[in-house]
This record gives sequence, C-alpha cells and structure tokens, in this order.
Amino acid sequence: MIKDITIGQYYSGNSVIHRMDARMKIVLTLAYIVSIFVCKNFISLGAMALFVIITALLSRVPVKMLLKSLKPVLIIVIFTAVLNIFYTTGGSTLVEWRFIKITSKGVFSAIFMSARIIALIVCSSLLTYTTTPTVLTGALESLLSPLKIFHIKVNTFAMMLTLALRFVPTLIEEIDRIMNAQKARGADLESGGLISRAKALVPILIPLFISSFRRAYDLAFAMECRCYTGGDNRTSMKKMKLAGRDLGALVFYIVMLAAIIVLNHFFKPVI
Amino acid sequence: MPIIEVENLIYRYGNGLSPEKAAIEDISLQIEEGELLAVIGHTGSGKSTLIQHLNGLLKPTSGRVIVDGHDIWESKASVRQARFTVGLCFQYPEYQLFEETVFRDIAFGPKNMGLDDNEIKKRVCRAAEYVGIGTELFEKSPFDLSGGQKRRVAIAGVMAMEPKVLVLDEPTAGLDPIGRDTILKLIKSYRETTGKTVILVSHSMEDVAKLATKVLVLNRSRLAMFGTVEEVFSRGDELTEMGLNVPQVTRIFMLLRQAGLPVSTGIYTVEQGRNELLRLVNGGVRP
Repeated sequence: MIKDITIGQYYSGNSVIHRMDARMKIVLTLAYIVSIFVCKNFISLGAMALFVIITALLSRVPVKMLLKSLKPVLIIVIFTAVLNIFYTTGGSTLVEWRFIKITSKGVFSAIFMSARIIALIVCSSLLTYTTTPTVLTGALESLLSPLKIFHIKVNTFAMMLTLALRFVPTLIEEIDRIMNAQKARGADLESGGLISRAKALVPILIPLFISSFRRAYDLAFAMECRCYTGGDNRTSMKKMKLAGRDLGALVFYIVMLAAIIVLNHFFKPVI
Repeated sequence: MPIIEVENLIYRYGNGLSPEKAAIEDISLQIEEGELLAVIGHTGSGKSTLIQHLNGLLKPTSGRVIVDGHDIWESKASVRQARFTVGLCFQYPEYQLFEETVFRDIAFGPKNMGLDDNEIKKRVCRAAEYVGIGTELFEKSPFDLSGGQKRRVAIAGVMAMEPKVLVLDEPTAGLDPIGRDTILKLIKSYRETTGKTVILVSHSMEDVAKLATKVLVLNRSRLAMFGTVEEVFSRGDELTEMGLNVPQVTRIFMLLRQAGLPVSTGIYTVEQGRNELLRLVNGGVRP
C-alpha cells in the first residue's frame, strides 16, 4: 500500500528528452506551466497539448506510466470541474432546477480547467520521469547559483535536497518493517474511527522518528569522516553542458508560445 | 495433529510492469507441536517470506496455511487469531519499541488481545522472567536500556501474547558473544519450561546444532531439505553447494572421513565429536 507512492519516479531510457540538459528541462517546464495559463481558448490550449504530446512521444515513457502519475490528482481535477460547472454563469442555460443552474459557459470552463491541470501534471511528471533526482538537484543548484551573491548557501540547500530524496525509499522500507512488527503484535491499523486510527499510528511513528535521528547522526558522522565541510568550491564529476538539442527545444517552445499568442488574439476566449 | 501445516504454498510478487518473481515456490511442510525448528538458507532464499505467511502478514498467491487446525485466511477474524497463535518476532526487534515504560511496551501485545488488566500483568511478569528482565526495570523507558536488554524486552513483547508458536527471525543478529549466549539460553529455557513450539531463523550453524530438533533448508525459494539435525548436517556437501555452512565440528569430521578414517559424518556438536574421536582412539570402546 505504502509502496505505491512514487517520489523521484525515474523511468530509465536514452531518448532525446532523457539526454537533454536538466537545467533546460526545468526552465522549459516552468515556462510551459506559465504559458498554459496564458492560453485563453481551446485552440491555443490544443497547441500547448500538442507540445506536451510531442514531448511525451519523444521521451518514450509508456502512456501507462503517465496515466499513473495522473491518478493522485484525479480528485483535484474532478473537484475543479464540479466547482466550475456550478459557479460559472453565462452563455445559454442548459439545465435549471431549483437553485442549480448549469450554463454552457460553465461546462466549457470546467473542461478547460481540467485540461489545464492534466497538461500541467503530465508535463511536470515528464520532467521527473526523464531526469534522475540527483541530476535534478544538480541542475537546481546550478540554476540557483546566482543567489550566492545574497550569501544564500545554494550548495547546502542542494545537498539537503539530495539527501532527503535519497532517504525516501529507505524510510518507506522502514515504515513497512515497523508496521509489520506492530501488526505481528496485534496492532490494528485498518479498522476503527478517525481518532482510533490516528492513535494506532503512534506505535509506528515513534520508532520511525528514533531510527531517523539515528540514521541522521550516522550519516553526519560518515560525511565528516570524509571531510565534508559544505564547501562552496565543490566540483561535480559530470559537467552540465547545453547542446544542440537543448537549443532546438528552446526554439520549438518559443514557436509554440508565439503560436499561442497569435491564436489567443484571433479566437474568442473561453474564460 | 501438527500445529502448523503448509500446503503447496506459492508466493509471487511484482509491480504490474515487469514479470512476477517467485519468493516461495510450492512449499509443503508440517510442524509438530513442541518442536524447535531451525530455518536456514541463503540471503534471499525466502526464509523471511515463509515465516511472514505463518501469522498471516502475507497472503499466499496460492496454497494454504493451517494453524492449529484452521485455515488462517478463512475469515478476517481467523487472520487476527493467527497473529496471536503464532507470535512473530522480527529481525532487530528493538526497533519496534515505542512505549514510555518497559512494562507498557511488553503489555502492548496482550492489550491488543483484549485481555483484562490482571491477566495482562500476569503475562508481562511471566514474559519478563523468561527473558531475564527484572521488575526493577519495568518503570524505566525502554530507550534507556542497553542494546541486549532492549532486544530481550522486544522478545518479551511477543512472548507475552503467549503464542502457541514462537517465531524468531535471527534473534542474535548484531549482538556480542555474551548477548548471543544470553538469547540462546533464554530460548532454550523458554522451550523447556513452556514446552511450546519455537521456529528459529538463523545463520549460525553452531546455534542450530545446539538448539534445534529439526532443520528446514530453503534454497532459491524452494524447500531443499527438511529433517532432523543429524539428517540435514550429514548432507554437508549439498549444503556447501548451496553456499551454506555446516558446523565446524561437522566439517572436521567430513575431512577426516575424506582422509580415510572410519568416522561418522552425522556429528554436529563438540560433545558428539569428542565421543566419536575417543571411540576411534580406543578402538570402539567408549570411555
């Protein structure tokens, strides 16, 4: 049950998208998320969807995996759609019953909003599917390095992030082990009301915290033994370099963005 | 009637993407009451998976596990009952301690069984006695104890449920020689005083030879051998092939036999070895 949670979900491959510079991937993903909110009608949103579909095809990540990443946000999508259906007014009225009124504009905006969220999630999970967590934090470190002039320790931040990601699978394994040990002593984790279930978590959380602190101490000692001082001048084994494919991706994105602005201008906005 | 019966147990696992892997491949066995069964096998041979089936923590892909005459997957209540009939104590059990006092931690299991306070108290005292934890430690925090004491408290937490079968997964792992001896002695005396069935997963062949009445050998998810200690250790060559050890004494006698001396190879304790050597030296006459 707990193993279904995927964080740092890397799908190994060697596609163009996998080989792209992680910094460019992060920048483009952020830019893409912003431009989804620039879209004002279905045609420009369609263009953006096309962009993400092409990227997905190039990455060769199975469709099944992408759909899996949508599962946790399904509730948010449905919730947004329902809110939009009932609270957006305008256009022709489709259903009217007592206080409930559904209009054509409401339906359109519900579809529009859901499509936006789905595009957003698929795009950002493409980033994590095609980039290993270590490379991702390395890229973040490089992107944030200008902050050094404000005396912000970017290195330390990146190290914290790397370590946190590194220990996610370890902690999940640990939780599983402790849960089994307590279940073997008759702990009932599945039944009862909210309060009794919260109480049933105590025998899991306390051992988990204790072992996490122990692990943190061990790790800190091990790092110090290898002379880690959080140095600003650490170099990395793999240097990140922008290549032709990164520029190509940038140009592709700029063309799509220009297309959106043009399409926004020529077609009627939905919202 | 055997206390535990396993019938054609198969357990496979997978994530839905890659093909399923088998962790247990068609195992059938019967464990008699009062036995001390040692389970040995290489890392990843399926030992832990097998014992987690005995108290219903894992559900078999196919096959049955019958504990005390009941199929444990018969109903939801029978799964819960199996947890109390078969007390499972995991590797490094000290990491499961969580209560404020030693007493309350040992009482966690009995409390989950829904027993009354008097009975809980009786059981906690009995379990603490088995593992040699004095009443003066009852009000201490379990986190203030030494490593060996923590482990004994954790084992007492399982014993306090008074299960008909006690399963211990490598109870001596990571302990110093004195700690190990203490644990082994307490297992022995627990069995002698209660007469209950004990299943012991171990990597130490010496411990197995000293304690067990029967040995189960797992190899690559399958049951490789199941018999008395003598039967299993006399097949030392096969064990070595599986990457397992035999007790040092057994190894010596295997080499003596290879060297052409007429000794028995079913020797697994130092005591037996001594007698066998004396027999050889005295020309068959026991001292």
